[in-house]
Amino acid sequence: MDNQSCVKIINEWDIVSARQLGRNVAKELGFGTVDQARITTAISELARNIFLYAGQGQICIEKMYESGKVGLRIISIDKGPGISDIRQVMEDGYSTSGGLGAGLPGVKRLMDEFMIDSNPGEGTDIQATKWLR
Amino acid sequence: MDFRRSMESKYRELLTSYLKGGSEQALYQSQKFSRNALERNIPPEEMVSLHKNLMIELFPDDFTAEMQESFDILLEVMVGYGFAYREHQNLKHIQQELRTEMEIAANVQQTLLGTEVPCVDGMDIGAISVPAKHMNGDYFHFVKDENNSVSIAIADVIGKGLPAALCMSMIKYAMDSLPENRKSPTVVLENLNRVVEQNVDLTMFITMLYGTYNTASHCFSYASAGHEPGLYYDATQDEFSELPAKGLLLGIDKKTKYREYEKEVMPGDMIILMSDGVTESRTEEGFIERETLLSLIKKYLHLSAQGVVQNVYKELEKLQDFQLRDDFTLIILRRKV
Amino acid sequence: MNININVNNNETLTEVTVNGEIDVYTAPKLKEELIPLSEKENVDMIVDLSGVSYMDSTGLGVFVGLFKNVRAHEGSFKIIGLSSRLQRLFEITGLADIIDISGKMEGEIR
Repeated sequence: MDNQSCVKIINEWDIVSARQLGRNVAKELGFGTVDQARITTAISELARNIFLYAGQGQICIEKMYESGKVGLRIISIDKGPGISDIRQVMEDGYSTSGGLGAGLPGVKRLMDEFMIDSNPGEGTDIQATKWLR
Repeated sequence: MDFRRSMESKYRELLTSYLKGGSEQALYQSQKFSRNALERNIPPEEMVSLHKNLMIELFPDDFTAEMQESFDILLEVMVGYGFAYREHQNLKHIQQELRTEMEIAANVQQTLLGTEVPCVDGMDIGAISVPAKHMNGDYFHFVKDENNSVSIAIADVIGKGLPAALCMSMIKYAMDSLPENRKSPTVVLENLNRVVEQNVDLTMFITMLYGTYNTASHCFSYASAGHEPGLYYDATQDEFSELPAKGLLLGIDKKTKYREYEKEVMPGDMIILMSDGVTESRTEEGFIERETLLSLIKKYLHLSAQGVVQNVYKELEKLQDFQLRDDFTLIILRRKV
Repeated sequence: MNININVNNNETLTEVTVNGEIDVYTAPKLKEELIPLSEKENVDMIVDLSGVSYMDSTGLGVFVGLFKNVRAHEGSFKIIGLSSRLQRLFEITGLADIIDISGKMEGEIR
């Protein structure tokens, strides 16, 4: 699909590539510098989770055009251990203990929409979208 | 959105006025501005961005490309701070909720464990129990029976706060279910010991002193399960002595047997019972000495039993700089002259 | 947290030295480190508390737990180096009658 590009996350340098991809797309869509920095921070957090806890996975950046709105969607997919208690990782304070899913509530706050799907043993899918205002 | 627009012009004002004269006035206004911005949850990265854009606008020629780009680094760093700041905001909100919940729980506990200091002919009784935090792990309970004798239980659950309070509710329930006619101190403790032994965590235990004051014979019979020893005040000699009591904590060994002790109480004399929150009171210099406690009790002897316990608590609270390390319970039974 | 736990595990003996204050904040750490040690069959455990300046009832609870575990696993448990204040705590609670706190070091007997 033309509107979507992906970066495989295997080592720490791939986090930088994912950020770069996200920043380029964000700039192209017309996001300001503050939102660019928020989007890249969200990408960093998601990619770090993959790198540290899932081993490998990928970050895809998708341009969104929906009923006149323009947006950017980060899609994070891994086949790692998964999260058994999603409610718990979405609670603030959990991130301070580190571990899988750390920082997800923060990512949710940086973006406008957030969706997570995870099954233990199967992996985790996360989609986070920011709309251009 | 309105605030954001006015925020921009307000910040521009501050910036230009300061750049003109470098006045303290402008800096003070900036501090007030930040309070306003914080109230409206403006994250730090937005402030950096605002600053950068105003600089470009105010100094289109002198604000070089390098200077502008340097702000990208600052912005990126501030997003990190903003990330933490928003989490902090949310945690503050959660903490507020928890506090409210604890306050409600403390009220429920008050109702559940509530006991009234009984009025008994020929006796003057005072009691105070103050939790170190919201919930009390200390417990005391009075029961006055038809023969005008008074039973009293004072107990302390290990630790404090919510876990201790939950455990206390279990003790209260177990005490209520003991058969009416079998309330000798040793029987009470042996029964409770079995309940605690079966129901609590490995490292959990409870201390308790249970006694019955017979108002006809003025004899206080009691038994202790590892509880802080009580004191006896002899009014004619003006002297304190420890009430002897040996017995293992509740919840260690289900076969534990307790021994009953008796003390005859003379007119004007007092039985003083307490939790270890009293003897373990700590100040900057160290533990409060037993002598300090005794002299405090003596200082207020002229008051009613309730007056004594309240004033002793007040003084110990002050000595500890108003920070209780442990739940505090003090009870006085005085035989009237 | 203001506590230091040192475990010396040799074949026959588990020697534990604790330094600092044992209260509601440090007791969980003590519990986490020592309880697993007490779950071995026939464990022979000596805890030296001569470096402990303060212990509250939560700390006492940890030792109660250790003692119960060791007893359940048919081992032996001994506490040495109690200050007079801690000694009083063990006596009041009746624990002095069931836990060996006599204070003699194993090495001194040999």
